[in-house]
Amino acid sequence: MVALVISLALFFDFTNGFHDTANAMATPIATGAIKPKTAVALAAVLNLIGAFLSTEVAKTVSGGIIREGSDGIQITPEIIFAGLMGAILWNMITWLKGLPSSSSHALFGGLIGAAIAGIGIHSVNFESLMQKVILPAIFAPLIAGAVAYLCTRLAYALTSRHDPETGDKLTQKRGGFRTGQIFTSSLVALAHGTNDAQKTMGIITLVLIAAGTQDVGSGPQFWVIAACAFAIAIGTYAGGWRIIRTMGSGLTDVKPAQGFAAETSTAAAILSSSHLGFALSTTQVASGSVIGSGLGRRGSSVRWGTAGRIAIGWLFTLPAAGIMGALTAWLVMTGVVGIVLAAGAGTAAVLYMYLHSKRSHVGHHNAVEVEEAGQAVRFRKKKAIAVGRGNTKPKGDLS
Amino acid sequence: MKWLELVQVAGATLLAAGSVVVLYSLGVRLTAIAGDIRENSPSWIRPLAYACFGLCGVAVLCGLYLIIPYFSG
Repeated sequence: MVALVISLALFFDFTNGFHDTANAMATPIATGAIKPKTAVALAAVLNLIGAFLSTEVAKTVSGGIIREGSDGIQITPEIIFAGLMGAILWNMITWLKGLPSSSSHALFGGLIGAAIAGIGIHSVNFESLMQKVILPAIFAPLIAGAVAYLCTRLAYALTSRHDPETGDKLTQKRGGFRTGQIFTSSLVALAHGTNDAQKTMGIITLVLIAAGTQDVGSGPQFWVIAACAFAIAIGTYAGGWRIIRTMGSGLTDVKPAQGFAAETSTAAAILSSSHLGFALSTTQVASGSVIGSGLGRRGSSVRWGTAGRIAIGWLFTLPAAGIMGALTAWLVMTGVVGIVLAAGAGTAAVLYMYLHSKRSHVGHHNAVEVEEAGQAVRFRKKKAIAVGRGNTKPKGDLS
Repeated sequence: MKWLELVQVAGATLLAAGSVVVLYSLGVRLTAIAGDIRENSPSWIRPLAYACFGLCGVAVLCGLYLIIPYFSG
């Protein structure tokens, strides 16, 4: 059972990787700063490195949200199995739909749902849940958004060039930011590794603790860190082209300077909160930054309708994954037959979705449309962009 | 409630992102000035631009250094 749960956790890590490639790499791909394949490979390597950097978040996940240990409720590997199943299914569904939802919330939702169904409502440490998950989920995007707003204003103020005599606008020459984007998006990928890979480490550690092979309250073991790092890196390399396409087409009017400011804020926010052990959603922080930088650039507007739809999507992730986790938990509680049934049904569902996705294949070859769009924006003159801006989807649409 | 930690996160984010963006923007700005054909910009502009990019890189590395427990204990 423990081995089954660990492999399921690693599979979740893999889906997390390809779900979130877009967070770091959709913007530079859209502005044409970097080629899609190179971007994905770079993101994979940096995720791998990032996973080794810190283990604070893993400790939050493994020791806090669900009461484990002698004084709390004994959490079983079966419950974790059910929670992971819920999270993976929700991740696969959103990937199929091309929605950039939060993998972290899917994970927490699944676990909480499974724990409530399997053990009872008292098994969840709501105080810790509030402090370590819900509040950061609300504040981190706000912080990242505010910082991105200020940074965008700063970047534009510092690089706006006027003729000292006539006051006319000179050519702004902000092309340097495109190169800078390669570095900032790399930082976002690194930050993603430090935060998201650790959630899986936390889960595996939780399983090991539940199975009694590891002390309560200890951090992840080295082989767990290494396995998670590789799983997320492979997942990232596999690339969520679907989500990259969704985000890329919504991002066509993000300018390099704006993207630079947004990515710097995203990376800074994720890294600093990883350092303090907040398990926040990288997807939501990135969205907050992009919206913030959209507000910061004059002449660009955020479509609040779209932003609102994303927010509703976020609200749904936790309960939806929770319900799936709960259903799996009920099935699993019936005994060995239930476990086999749940595993079989889960595998079948994942396979079905995978095959279904093959029918309309989105790979690096046709996500390239995004790159072309980026170049079209780059070479067109200002007026054309202004017109284009009216038609294109807003930057509020994602990342 | 861990408000203090939230404030810490906000402050660290602002400081880190702000310094990186300011330095890089200055670099871009100075490169742009150095690249102007029309005016004869002083010869120290371009090295200064590179210095800004360099400082920006140093700031990033510095931040990573602070975060990675392996280095900062």
